[in-house]
Amino acid sequence: MNSLLNSFITELRRGTLTLAVLSQLRERQYGYSLVQRLENSGVAIDQSTLYPLLRRLEKQELVTSSWDTSESRPRKYYVLSPFGQEIYEQLKLEWERTSRELHDLLKGEDGHESIKSD
Amino acid sequence: MNPSNLIELYIQEVTRRLPEQGREDIALELRSTIEDMLPDEYEEAEVKEALTKLGNPAVLAAQYRDQPQYLIGPRYYETYIQLIKMVLPIAAVIGVIAVFADQLFIYTGSVAEIDWVDFMTGLIGGVISQAVSVMLQAAFWITLVFAILERSGVKESTGEGWKRNPKGWTPEELYRIRNIPVEKKIAKTKVFFDLLVTAIGGCIFFNADRLIVVYESGQNGLERLMPVFNQDVLLSYWPWVVLWLALDVTLSIYKWLAGQWTYRMAALNAAVYAVTLCVFASMLLRADTLISAAFHVKMGEWFWFGYSSLADGGFTQASLLWITFFAITLAVSIDTWQGFRKAGIQPRPSSYK
Repeated sequence: MNSLLNSFITELRRGTLTLAVLSQLRERQYGYSLVQRLENSGVAIDQSTLYPLLRRLEKQELVTSSWDTSESRPRKYYVLSPFGQEIYEQLKLEWERTSRELHDLLKGEDGHESIKSD
Repeated sequence: MNPSNLIELYIQEVTRRLPEQGREDIALELRSTIEDMLPDEYEEAEVKEALTKLGNPAVLAAQYRDQPQYLIGPRYYETYIQLIKMVLPIAAVIGVIAVFADQLFIYTGSVAEIDWVDFMTGLIGGVISQAVSVMLQAAFWITLVFAILERSGVKESTGEGWKRNPKGWTPEELYRIRNIPVEKKIAKTKVFFDLLVTAIGGCIFFNADRLIVVYESGQNGLERLMPVFNQDVLLSYWPWVVLWLALDVTLSIYKWLAGQWTYRMAALNAAVYAVTLCVFASMLLRADTLISAAFHVKMGEWFWFGYSSLADGGFTQASLLWITFFAITLAVSIDTWQGFRKAGIQPRPSSYK
């Protein structure tokens, strides 16, 4: 039962991960700084998923990357492209709508239960 | 072990699983990321902790490889399975015919001398192993084609295989399915048997010297006498026969996909038959050399009322040829006509509209 629950949770998170990453890439970030920012906001992310995801986003032209060699070690920075910005805004709207709908749905569910238990 | 060696080993374990292109960039990024995770002066234990967070290098590499992690995805699965189901039995039959051709060829002598137990074990063993091997071959090539198709990036809208409607599915299609009269339909089983016959025909053609042979009872029981055809002359027709096979298989696949007779299909059907008839007629015209000399003699013995070859201006052989040709033309004409007739059948007016 636990593994089933886990697979559902993973599935739920998978869809939101891209949105979370895009939201943080409005400013340029390198891999590990992105991990830290996400973790600080409480978004747990598998690092083995994140780095390949960044490359995929770059291939899909949502983000652009550049190597910065001015610091102690070279770092690859990622930032939203104009196209990525556009996609991000639309995804954000969609997410807000979905979470509102779901919120209402789940609240309704709670209401029913409290009636039943009364 | 030096902790930085551990990092290099990890990176190597990831990148060796990746395509050459992009390997270097990923290695560079990974190294910088891992070092970001570590304090300036790090110990082996800290490296191990960081690498544990990144997880199994094979899994990480799989995430980087942006290719399907399956051989045949849901897009082609149904078509693939249907094709396998249709082709494998045909492949098995081809295998079996090949074994028979081989086995019969081995026993050129008297049938009475055959050790039947030996013969049957050889035959059964050969049939099974040959059928399995041909089926494996067929399955392998079909799978390979589909796997390439899956990876070739042929962009496709959702829907099954290549039978989709570009505009997407509409409930109107249900009327069309309901209203195809049974006679107008082309059953998958019919296509299957057509393909089977084609395959058998092709097999027999290329093995005619071993399969179409006259046996006669002699002193030692049944004796293998002579092949009916001159295989050299027969095989000189191979490009034509291959053309016919290709046309026939293509038409069958088209029938399988379309599932019903249309005027276009009837026309194609007629065209393939026309090619078939031409090939056949050109063979008949050379019947003199096509049929082996020994068999000519044999025919002379069978037709007691006198048999003379075409070259001698003989009547019997010529008439035999004409009868054969007309019988085939008749059969082909009937089937062609049936095709057009079925194409002309109108769907029943729907009672649902």
